[in-house]
Amino acid sequence: MKSGLTVFLAAFVALGASWFGFVYGPLEQLGGEKQTTVLQSPDSWPPQRTGAATLGLQVYRKYGCAACHTEQVRQSDAANEIWLTSLGDHKPQDFRDFIQSLMIVPELMPASNTIVGKLQQWGGTVPVLLYSGDDATVVSTLAGKLKPVGVKAEVQVVALGADIRRGWGMRKSVAADYLYDEPVQLGNLRAGPDLSLVGVRDPDANWQLQHLYAPRSIVKNSTMPAFRSLFLVREKAGEPGSPEALVLPQEFAPAADMEVVPTAEARELAAYLLSLKANAPLYEAPFTPVTAAK
Amino acid sequence: MSDQNKDQCNPTNGEPTVQHSAAPMWIIVVTLTLLFFGGLYLDSHGGWFNPKVYAPYNTAERLESFQPQSGAAAAAAQGKRVYEAVCGICHGNDGAGKPGQAPPLAGSEWVLTKGDNRLAHIPLEGLNGSLMVKGKEWTLNMAAMGAALSDSDLAAVLTYMRTSWGNQAGEVTPDDVKKVRDAIGSHLQPMNGDQLMKMPE
Repeated sequence: MKSGLTVFLAAFVALGASWFGFVYGPLEQLGGEKQTTVLQSPDSWPPQRTGAATLGLQVYRKYGCAACHTEQVRQSDAANEIWLTSLGDHKPQDFRDFIQSLMIVPELMPASNTIVGKLQQWGGTVPVLLYSGDDATVVSTLAGKLKPVGVKAEVQVVALGADIRRGWGMRKSVAADYLYDEPVQLGNLRAGPDLSLVGVRDPDANWQLQHLYAPRSIVKNSTMPAFRSLFLVREKAGEPGSPEALVLPQEFAPAADMEVVPTAEARELAAYLLSLKANAPLYEAPFTPVTAAK
Repeated sequence: MSDQNKDQCNPTNGEPTVQHSAAPMWIIVVTLTLLFFGGLYLDSHGGWFNPKVYAPYNTAERLESFQPQSGAAAAAAQGKRVYEAVCGICHGNDGAGKPGQAPPLAGSEWVLTKGDNRLAHIPLEGLNGSLMVKGKEWTLNMAAMGAALSDSDLAAVLTYMRTSWGNQAGEVTPDDVKKVRDAIGSHLQPMNGDQLMKMPE
């Protein structure tokens, strides 16, 4: 073969380039991922899982939960927002004039049309969103100008996107969230909802257990299979029965002298589900946690 | 079939050989154009392979502009951090104090004063002598733990004390701390309870 060396080198370069791109590059970029800190808080992220929750990840994997559930929240954009929360003793018209007079400040110029336009039709009800967009300088300048005149405003960073509107997440998922997952159960099909935040959405272990045993006893039209094999249906040893037995609605309950108790696997899976709480703002995925009602 | 091809396929003329031909110019132009736009896209969306930069932020600068800058949450977190580093060792991270060593801060009348003047004197000057806390007498020798903290850190930590563990009192601003610090000047004088009581709240 006359061009053997050329063919060999070409194949080597092609394979080497894809190894570089798919293996070495990502390893270099994220291989050193460590526990990090939550924004504006002394806490670490991600928190260590309890033993039961760590075992629960293997149960999650064994029953193929990731075939229908994802653990990844997408985010389409982010916005810096400033909300007017209290007018103090100002009148809406005064405030409108005051804002108008602020618009000669160079930092506010790029947003002047949006802000003034928002207040045009405004009748004085608070809270009102004064500005929502990319520009952090607009927000901080405006907040600085509002404070001395006795008007209260709240500044926040919000994550935007369909998943966040659905309440499936508070921000996008990032590599740090999966630090203790082995293997990572990202999932790629959403026959069921995303579970990144399920520990915050349904923080009750009994709710999780009942939902695993009889999904349709909680969500009427759920398509989730009932994982009966995670539970033991047994005769009651006496009244009132085991304290661990599920409290089920009549329609789903076994015969009167029987009870449904979760196995160790069920409790581990529930512990794992409760540990899924991607609710911490991080440097790479910032947002302002909602503390008070707006 | 032309005569030339006939010649090449004829086994008597020996093995056919691979011949070089230049790639058409249009393929080179299209490839370079695609590479150019790919490069532009990578430049504006790749975040220069920074592991902290994810879509939709695209660049480190844009991510930086979305970091929450201030607000009550930031001050509270700062207060907690400083408290646990400086005060919590003796007064406990739960503000319950340590018997015989440090009085409780949770529910303490010295923390829940109306104003913050008297409270701010304690970390800035220290304590020496007896002091009544929640109906119990303490003999204390506290160093001026707050003298080395900045105004904003001390204000954050005092605010944290006044708003944590069930305490509900007003916030302390860096300006308040600065006023007390200026009033003390260089006359550092650890005080006891009676001396503190003589000061305005």
